Amino acid sequence: MLIYLPIAELSVNMFIIFGMGGAVGFLSGLFGVGGGFLLTPLLIFSGIPPVVSVATVASQIVASSASAALSYWRRRMVDLKLATVLMLAGMVGTLLGVLVFNGLRSLGQLDLIIGISYVTFLGTIGGLMLTESVRAIVNARRGRPAPLRKPGQHNWVHGLPLKMRFKRSKLYVSAIPVVALGVGIGFLGALLGIGGGFILVPALIYLLRVPTNVVVGTSLVQIVATMSVATILHAVTNFSVDIVLAIILMVGGVIGAQFGARVGQNIRGDQLRALLAILVLAVAARFFFGLVTPPDEPFSLTTLSGSPL
Amino acid sequence: MRRLGATLVALALLTAPAAAERLTIALSTMDIRIDSDFTGDAITVFGVIERDAAAVSRAAPYDVAVLVRGPVESVVARRKEPLLFLWVNRSSETFTAAPSYYALSSTRPLDEIATPQLLRRFGLGFRNIPLQVAEAAEARTDPEFRDAFIRLRKEAGLYSEFAGGVDFIGSSELVFLTAAWIPSNAPDGRYTVEVFLFSGSAFLAREEATLNVTKVGFEQFMYEASHNQALFYGLACVLLALFTGWLAGVIFRRD
Repeated sequence: MLIYLPIAELSVNMFIIFGMGGAVGFLSGLFGVGGGFLLTPLLIFSGIPPVVSVATVASQIVASSASAALSYWRRRMVDLKLATVLMLAGMVGTLLGVLVFNGLRSLGQLDLIIGISYVTFLGTIGGLMLTESVRAIVNARRGRPAPLRKPGQHNWVHGLPLKMRFKRSKLYVSAIPVVALGVGIGFLGALLGIGGGFILVPALIYLLRVPTNVVVGTSLVQIVATMSVATILHAVTNFSVDIVLAIILMVGGVIGAQFGARVGQNIRGDQLRALLAILVLAVAARFFFGLVTPPDEPFSLTTLSGSPL
Repeated sequence: MRRLGATLVALALLTAPAAAERLTIALSTMDIRIDSDFTGDAITVFGVIERDAAAVSRAAPYDVAVLVRGPVESVVARRKEPLLFLWVNRSSETFTAAPSYYALSSTRPLDEIATPQLLRRFGLGFRNIPLQVAEAAEARTDPEFRDAFIRLRKEAGLYSEFAGGVDFIGSSELVFLTAAWIPSNAPDGRYTVEVFLFSGSAFLAREEATLNVTKVGFEQFMYEASHNQALFYGLACVLLALFTGWLAGVIFRRD
């Protein structure tokens, strides 16, 4: 069934888009990630303009993160103070991200920067995840126990000034890395159409030593807030949020996520991470080939502000 | 002197036809509405060549060209070029007056019905569309961009040229008709339909009509809301997302 997307200004098969939303939702439920880093590329590869893909996925991430954030909130697994600092910093980052996004668009370089960023981030993170999970799988095979982390272990981050106390996380840590993290995630989220959970969660655990029981809830609250801001800023500055596309993706996504979460409970963590790593690397590879292979059509047409024609 | 000569020729060309042939045209529709299941629509242009008493009998047969043009827009054409190992948009050219839609049909190939000067003056034929290149002062305009622009527009179904697309009906050869296809991706706005009458490569008459292409329905409402009420539209998207997320949480709650 063809449905016309009023902002993307093209007709798409509703069931294909619904299926994409569902499949990414399934994977995000399976792996416990937002899925923006899969959904945005999938939409771009299927012919939706990158501008519309990035802006619309921002709103889809709000939907997919909101229900999870709510359930963590109910179970009191959110550090509100940490989330607030991250959120405020995230809004600044989002604003910067949207400004850079619109600037790149009118220069005709948005697609290139999105491509390079995806290759870099997904390549690095996918590579790290793959080596880590393969090592864990090999260790488990040989019957070696996973190395334990000692409590109270400090790193260079804990030597920075401007310390703040986060009671819920039992942390006394400098505000600098927290703000930097918030700004960075907000910036990337607005620029690339990703929630950033797959960067934020490891950073909170390994860099700030936030206890794992509040990490996911806190990062989800941060993602809901910054992606809401990103949606509004994209809507106001480049008019590229497609509400019809968003609804189809949201519904597909939340349904898929439920099934994914159920399947995910029956697969071992290290195997799950290895699978996710392979998926992340595959998306990175697809972007890489798009950047290095000579294009079939070297010419493209846009309006002055960068909307594709 | 040359300009004066040109003006005189133009005056002669414009005034001469008044005494002889006149064109009367009619469109099958003056309003095209694009809604959600719009897959394109044909407009038919009918015309009659009216000869008054002063009309001389022409040695050459009449030739008609029908040009349908959409509103002009500014377009940036970019070209990807290799940079290190990447393919990057490096050079570009901006056209400030590119018709968003251009469909030309004629009784015979253009170069057989009018002189190159006339074709250029009326913007007839892809080669003669005045796209108006911005920054032309740099004097390094690359014809490749223009060619690519027209090729991409043709591929999008927005530009077409059809020699033989205008047919005369009846033995008098004074009544003609042609059709133009407005595809679903045609932009909205005021379109002009121009009909030109030639005989033996000489210009005889010109007539013009307008056609409105408007987008209607839910899609248009959303499009307008997203542009004119951007803040509310954005807020609505966020609220919708939060609601969907909350609803999913309620429906699929496992505890």
